[in-house]
Amino acid sequence: MNNSVKPDASAAVSPGSNSQSPVAGHFSHLAFWQAMGPFLVFAATVLTVSLVNPAFLGGTGIAIVTGAAASILLVALGQAMVLHIGSIDLSNAAIALLGAILMAMALPTFGIAGLIAVLVAVTFFGAVNGAIVAYCQVPSFALTLGMLGIFEAAALVTSGSETIYVTKNRELVTVLYHYRLAGVPLTFWMGVVVALLYWALLRFTSVGQGLTAIGKNEAGAIFAAVRTGWLKVLAFAISGFTAGLAGITIVAQAGSASASGLGSDLLLPGIAAALVGGTAISGGLTNPVSVIFGALTVAFVPIAVQAIGISAQAQSLVYGIFIIVVVVLTTTRSRDEIIK
Amino acid sequence: MDKRKLLHGDWQGATSWVVILALVIIVFSFINPRFASIENLRNVLVQASVPLMLVVGATLVILMGSIDLSVQGIMGAAGMVWILMSPNARGGIDYGAWAWVVATGIGLILGLLSGVIHTLFRVPSFVVTLGTWNVGVGLATILYGDSLLPSLTSEALSQWPTRLTLGLPNSFWLASIVVLAGILLIGFTQLGRGILAIGNNEPLAVVNGVPVIPIKIAAFGIAGLLSGFAGILATMQLGSGAPGVGAGQLFTVIPAAVIAGTALSGGEGGMVRSALGVFLLILLNNGLVLAGVDPNYQSGVFGAILVIAIVAVDWPQRDRLRVAK
Repeated sequence: MNNSVKPDASAAVSPGSNSQSPVAGHFSHLAFWQAMGPFLVFAATVLTVSLVNPAFLGGTGIAIVTGAAASILLVALGQAMVLHIGSIDLSNAAIALLGAILMAMALPTFGIAGLIAVLVAVTFFGAVNGAIVAYCQVPSFALTLGMLGIFEAAALVTSGSETIYVTKNRELVTVLYHYRLAGVPLTFWMGVVVALLYWALLRFTSVGQGLTAIGKNEAGAIFAAVRTGWLKVLAFAISGFTAGLAGITIVAQAGSASASGLGSDLLLPGIAAALVGGTAISGGLTNPVSVIFGALTVAFVPIAVQAIGISAQAQSLVYGIFIIVVVVLTTTRSRDEIIK
Repeated sequence: MDKRKLLHGDWQGATSWVVILALVIIVFSFINPRFASIENLRNVLVQASVPLMLVVGATLVILMGSIDLSVQGIMGAAGMVWILMSPNARGGIDYGAWAWVVATGIGLILGLLSGVIHTLFRVPSFVVTLGTWNVGVGLATILYGDSLLPSLTSEALSQWPTRLTLGLPNSFWLASIVVLAGILLIGFTQLGRGILAIGNNEPLAVVNGVPVIPIKIAAFGIAGLLSGFAGILATMQLGSGAPGVGAGQLFTVIPAAVIAGTALSGGEGGMVRSALGVFLLILLNNGLVLAGVDPNYQSGVFGAILVIAIVAVDWPQRDRLRVAK
């Protein structure tokens, strides 16, 4: 994970290291997967469910799945922005849960102002992650693993290991889950809007191009005077902010928040959704709009698993295999690269 | 490389570590005199056994510059397999020694799987092991099912870890054997040399004909096997099977290896230091609990230690043109 840009042995020996791996080189279908894969996987999952359980799609099934997909989608969008610069944020699901707890505590007294204050706070937490990665130059997975521990402890301590019920002003957020537009809860539409905004950010702005440059070739970006440090802080801050929005969807759905309740298991589904959505773990390739289908697919997994007759307990097994298979299929590989 | 050599060589830093550990013991015994009692120190040794076994495998992998996040999942899967094949409340046949073989075998297979996918498909190890972590948890959850809690019915087995042999708990003896094997593996075998070579400079190892891929797969396999073994010990200590038997271990093992100076970029560190790192964290945790600190703070304290340790280790290497992902 730690590459130095000064000319070292890896440059000198590159011609000899070609035979290093039997399955090296690009998969030719990568471009096709990037464009169509997420949608096709989603379609296949829906088809499976509708064949085995035709009643599901007719009733309130859609509302239930999209409701569950909303928090996964938001966590995945934040993760995708960090994956885009070639890093990873293992702490963003914990930030979402801490955010949900803080919101549940702030809502009764401060209302909307409380929500905004918490969103500012979680954005700051994300920015701290980014600042340490950018300016202390530590590997992001190790740093955010440590931060995950800190945020988990913070969630337990602030909630006193109890469920925080929103006693007043509850309808301010629960309306987001209960009001449906075209049969889909507003929480999910919020995710869709965020996805479109992030897509536009990456596609049309110089900030977005800077992020892409870091993901594709960070050394090159540094030499091209891209402000890599600042942009890294931004990417992690976006991850923190989006995790805060995921926190809103958690409170909206449950009307309460706790360290072990709804939303306490979002890390892996979030990463899986980003990867199924065609985001490359090596960075530089992210389409937030595809992540929408990734999140829907991941939200469908528990239902699909049950529909084909496997117990719901197999969920994490399925997520685990899902992540491995998708990463194997989508990682970009170059011949001389050292993979740690 | 040399800029970071805070502790040169695996043994040379050990004396200063013993001083640090002694200081921790003195400070905490002033806060709560019970801390330095023989019973509590034996208790610390029992608590340290599982992370000591895990840290051997984790150090092998980190020395190569890779990472193994799957420990807790493999512990859960191996622990459940072991208890269901041993005398437990659900009945079933007692397979005796075969339970150990099959359970550690599951760990070995999951570890080898991580290694094979990581090397042959060239996927970063932290993603692969994030996957195998959940595969392990999933296997354990399926085995756990909805039926009766599989508690250990054999008194002899459930008391074995805390029973004393020559004044020290059995589980600590077991862990010591594993650590000793790890020291010998790193210091005196081709596999150990190969692991250090890969961590120090992988491209150079490749051109020098070091069999990089088999060595990496072997290291992940050994780490998986030891996680399985630790899962059995943890299940015995708990007295019943649980998919979450390894909960929190990742936050002990990785910070322990890193504060002991095992660089996450590879090539530097050693078993002795990692083992001392485990002792420091376990003493710290035990001391905080005895000092009346809410156990909810534990993952936060260990997380903060990890953050400070990686920043401190990488600080001298900062460079305007350095790329850290």
